[in-house]
Amino acid sequence: MFLIQLKHELWKLFGKKRTFIGFGVFLLAQNVVVLMFRFSKASTGIRRALEGGGYPAADFITAETIATIVVIPIAYLLLPLYVALVGGDLVAKEAEDGTLRMILARPVSRVRLLALKWLAGSLFALLLSVCLGVFGLAFASLWFPQGGLFATQIDGDGPRGGFSLFGASEGLWRYTLAHLLLATKAVSVMGLGFMFSCFNMKPAAATILALSVLFANGILMNIPWFADYKGWFITHHLNLWQWVFLQPAPTTRIIESLCLLAGFNVTFFAVGAAAFQVRDIKS
Amino acid sequence: MIQLAQVQKRFGARLAVDALDLHVPRGAVFGLLGHNGAGKSTAIGMLLGQVWPTAGDVKVCGHDVLRDRAKALAKVGAIFEAPVFYDYLSGRTNLEILSSYTAPTSPARIREVVAWVGLTGREDSKVRTYSHGMRARLALAQALLPGPDLLILDEPTNGLDPEGIHEMRETIRRLHAELGLTILLSSHLLSEVEQLCSRIAVMNQGKKVFDGTLAEARRAQSWVRLRTSDLGAAVAELRAAKLVVAERDDGAIALAEGAATSDVVRRLVELGFPVHEIATEKPTLEDFYLSLMRQGTPDAGRRTAEA
Repeated sequence: MFLIQLKHELWKLFGKKRTFIGFGVFLLAQNVVVLMFRFSKASTGIRRALEGGGYPAADFITAETIATIVVIPIAYLLLPLYVALVGGDLVAKEAEDGTLRMILARPVSRVRLLALKWLAGSLFALLLSVCLGVFGLAFASLWFPQGGLFATQIDGDGPRGGFSLFGASEGLWRYTLAHLLLATKAVSVMGLGFMFSCFNMKPAAATILALSVLFANGILMNIPWFADYKGWFITHHLNLWQWVFLQPAPTTRIIESLCLLAGFNVTFFAVGAAAFQVRDIKS
Repeated sequence: MIQLAQVQKRFGARLAVDALDLHVPRGAVFGLLGHNGAGKSTAIGMLLGQVWPTAGDVKVCGHDVLRDRAKALAKVGAIFEAPVFYDYLSGRTNLEILSSYTAPTSPARIREVVAWVGLTGREDSKVRTYSHGMRARLALAQALLPGPDLLILDEPTNGLDPEGIHEMRETIRRLHAELGLTILLSSHLLSEVEQLCSRIAVMNQGKKVFDGTLAEARRAQSWVRLRTSDLGAAVAELRAAKLVVAERDDGAIALAEGAATSDVVRRLVELGFPVHEIATEKPTLEDFYLSLMRQGTPDAGRRTAEA
């Protein structure tokens, strides 16, 4: 029965056009960036960095490298926006439309309903992350050869501006793992939006609140004098997917952040469920 | 089927429902009357476990809604004033989705209910293409899918055109006659309640001010039109004789309990008042309802037929 209800939640979610905005914008953004790299001098900087270090540029200006470059700004800006939008909609939109009252006239418990919605939202977040990886690589492969992976260090412990190089198979493996870990970021941001959505507020307010929390965390985390407290900010742990591109990958830190994100998600759900449980659902 | 005992609901400082006792017996078509904001929808929300009562007990189908909501609502269908659905999905998908929150429903059962409400042929169209009347029928279908024993209808004819209202009224009659459902109908439309319900409760400012059969409501206050030479003096004499309890500006009088028009005529003739006309007005639910509302403070007008 739970699976049937989950299937129905997915029908509801994927029946809405706005659910596909993220996929559409990813397709567009990825194509634009890939084409710019192909038909402009944008790859000159990569070539210079590689050749300056004595590496053959042709081996690393590849589909994997371009796809990885494309994913970084999207993962920072667009992905949180779309998953927060869906998370913020999950409960609040149904409450706003009045369908929540129709559902809660039936003998389904509120916690079960929230579990279904959270799971549907998480599957969406997972799918969006996977599609981001697959689309990126597919489009980059149309214009660039397969090969090694050149990845700049955005949020590692190493010096900024540094980079890592991987062979073809290891590069592909790291690219895949990064996107699977990116799904944990997507699920967590969705969960944050979902938590606010459980309160008595408009869907847009839930989305804006979730993004505000993220941005505020990001701002605080990037104040140089707060560097010692990085671990306190959720945004730091949401970046764990990038650590896969460090050489060697900090496995312990990744596992630690995964555990913390699991804790954050449980907390988001518990807070949302508690707020939703005590709410009066009225027209 | 429904039992509310001393139920209270407070939203902040506002008391939305106060000390509400309600008993809806199995098989009844029970009307819950009251103007907008009287507390009807809040009471229904508490019946369905959507609104948490501040105090009191709420039982549906013999089960406490707060402690055992799943059992209490297993055989309950509900329709709300504005039927809302997932517009971007088909009618059939909407029915599948909503019914799955109660129990698995077979395609045959969905076909049966769709046919019952007269939506056959349109069930695969997107709900956004439905008229208001069709949405109302879809709302009815989703309420009927679990095979309910109790149907809760919260202002079901709101927004319908006269034809739609008539159709909904006939459907409610059929539901009661053919399926033997217990129906709780919340409405502020007196004619609707008058035509459908055998028993009513009236709410005003969150309080129940009447509970009884329609016949009791009509009997509760009947007016007699009287024309005589000096109405004021005649009424004063009748009041003194404890035959009349109230009078209206248009010359209508309300008889005391046990008093008959023949007693009034006899007394007036004895006192020498000529009686030009005396006739009992056919009491309507509207008269009764308005008299309850005019009384303002609910306690002042409390009339419980059971009492």
